[in-house]
Amino acid sequence: MYAEMKHPVLLWLAGALLTVTAAVSWGDSASQHHLARGTLSSTSQYIVPAVQLIRDDGKLVSLPAEMNDGRPVVLNFIFTSCSSVCPLMSEVFAQFARKLGSDRDKVHLMSISIDPEQDTPARLREYAQKFEAGSEWQHYTGTVEASLAAQRAFAVYRGDKMSHTAVTLLRVAPGMPWLRLDGFVTPDELLEQYRQLLQEQGRTEHPRKSASLSLHDGDS
Amino acid sequence: MAGLLALFTAETDATERVGPSRGEMLYRQGVLPSGKPLRGEREQAVGVEGMAAACVTCHRRSGYGSSEGTVRIPPILGSLLFQPSGKHPLDTQPGAGYTPGRIAYTDETLARAIRHGLVPTGRTLGLVMPRYDLDDATMASLIEYLKGLSATVSPGVTDDTLHFATIITPDADPIARQGMLDVLQRFIEDKNDFRKGGARPLQRNVGFNYRVTRNWQLHVWQLTGPPESWEPQLWARLAKEPVFAVLSGLGGRNWAPVHHFCEQAALPCLFPNVDLPVVAEGDFYSVYFSKGVLLEAQLIAKDLAEQAQRWGVHRVVQVFRAGDIGEEAARTVTAAAAAAGLQSTSHVIQAEARADGRSLALQDVAADDAVVLWLRPNELAALPAEPVRAAAVFASGLMGGLENAPLPAPWRGAVRITYPADLPDGRAVRMHIPLAWFKVRNVPIVAERVQADTYLACGIVAEQLTGMLDRFEREVLLERFETMLNTRLFTGYYSRLGLAQGQRFASKGGYIARFAESQGARLVADGGYTVP
Repeated sequence: MYAEMKHPVLLWLAGALLTVTAAVSWGDSASQHHLARGTLSSTSQYIVPAVQLIRDDGKLVSLPAEMNDGRPVVLNFIFTSCSSVCPLMSEVFAQFARKLGSDRDKVHLMSISIDPEQDTPARLREYAQKFEAGSEWQHYTGTVEASLAAQRAFAVYRGDKMSHTAVTLLRVAPGMPWLRLDGFVTPDELLEQYRQLLQEQGRTEHPRKSASLSLHDGDS
Repeated sequence: MAGLLALFTAETDATERVGPSRGEMLYRQGVLPSGKPLRGEREQAVGVEGMAAACVTCHRRSGYGSSEGTVRIPPILGSLLFQPSGKHPLDTQPGAGYTPGRIAYTDETLARAIRHGLVPTGRTLGLVMPRYDLDDATMASLIEYLKGLSATVSPGVTDDTLHFATIITPDADPIARQGMLDVLQRFIEDKNDFRKGGARPLQRNVGFNYRVTRNWQLHVWQLTGPPESWEPQLWARLAKEPVFAVLSGLGGRNWAPVHHFCEQAALPCLFPNVDLPVVAEGDFYSVYFSKGVLLEAQLIAKDLAEQAQRWGVHRVVQVFRAGDIGEEAARTVTAAAAAAGLQSTSHVIQAEARADGRSLALQDVAADDAVVLWLRPNELAALPAEPVRAAAVFASGLMGGLENAPLPAPWRGAVRITYPADLPDGRAVRMHIPLAWFKVRNVPIVAERVQADTYLACGIVAEQLTGMLDRFEREVLLERFETMLNTRLFTGYYSRLGLAQGQRFASKGGYIARFAESQGARLVADGGYTVP
């Protein structure tokens, strides 16, 4: 089982330690600043809810387990009947993956449906194929309740799927804070943000963080 | 050479065929006059092609635009674009259409906006809008199409009346027919009572009304004869009585001709009472509450896929009457059974055969079979007294009468009923509104589900028409359902309703349930609400 499910207090402690680390190491990027066209960037700690989702291959999976598979996570929320915002966000993911080249295997792109009753695994696979999603990119559906729990946990729920906005979330490792990009990002911007996060993580590698992470790993 | 020949034939076809105009092909399908897919570019090469680049994808069939969160897709009707802000009724809707300080476009400035994203005010169009490198002739055909888009009022709308039809097939249940008509007529009387004594339009000083309350008038299109004669009958009725939309309706075994007619006539067909609707992705004009027996079939298929092994099921035996709606549903289960590695066989009752011990004797059913009963109430009641010994028995709730299914007592404990709506206990609070309305309006309840669905359909249509200013466009009404239906709280029989672009079945899940007691109509869910 996962830390998120089993030991909320432990997780909170680990999270609190990391927040301090992050606030120091993130420096300027921890405070909000503008990307191109008014896209807003911020960092936050989100508690990944212990919900089960259905992956596009039809398997029932745990959201925390999907996020803690060892790869950095880039996350968005979409639905396949969406005509304007989602295809654009998905195309950005597709091009981001393409630009990563062979490094695309080192990242986990996750897209969670906000219209889960319509978006069956088969529909998600069809959608993913349109954007040439490879093994680095999975789409998720599930019950309405599970999708809502995920949306609420990441503060992207807007009351109705038609009111959704473009949000991209990045996290380099379990326990680390999430970088949140509100608004549209271009593939290059996403790549830059992603690489910057990886670099910053590299710089902040120190015993205390490794300790809390191994605590995590040992528990999973 | 073959390619050249193909190109040549394609071109001759295009010139000879009387089909959609070049502008329409571009707008609705993202296809250039050359036959190549339309391409649009966005910053950073996040381009779009084909259907994704087609105008309709964002600006919708009506051209009224849409909005998603903070992204506003403005209307692109010629009648609006070629006028400055404030001169068009849509300018009164700040949410959807309002563009502050719009300077009227000309053909040249519109072409510049489409090609380069530059609008007359000096503003640049947003990131979501692609830039299209169209040649002059293609651009001209697109602009011509935009000028004609939603330019005329839809048929069935007069100065003081909105005309609706309701379509009833000859094989529809006569009791449900009367129940549905009672609801429709009473609802419309209520609506029209509001106008008695005269209702003045809400006017603005810029020369248009932003709301006019119209009388509703219902035309009952009762079909007769065999299904192949229905479409000509419907075309004749439409010519005689132009209507804005088809409201509710009642089908029997075959609704396909009505669905097809509505699609061809570009006539909205709103929430008809049919248990076997037409599933045709890409069709625009028919909207249903659910997939009916096809949803039941999917619920059974999902259950079998998940449980067959645990139950030790090796074969699926389906019982249906030839020509009834269960036949089509059984096909869905057969296909799913094959995919799950199960055998399947059908026990078919001949179309004219009596439902009795002989036609319903299921002697060859084995203990490792799953039995699916696609039977009507009279057929369920005629089942042999002794239930089959099978690993699982399912019965279609829609066909068998849901909680009132007249199963012989010994069968009640064995049968699991598919229920493609919310269970009676779950919907009790939501049903207060229709049931109270039936009571105060003296509408006898003779077919509760049909009547509740009809009332729900009337409510949804009235609600969405109220927000349509003084402009009644058929396409806009459907597009409003797509965006607004999700937020409706009072959804009658259904747990929730929701649509989006391209979705035409509002309720997507249901239950498999068992009778709670040896008598009575109380059902308990066997598992949770499931969306197969």
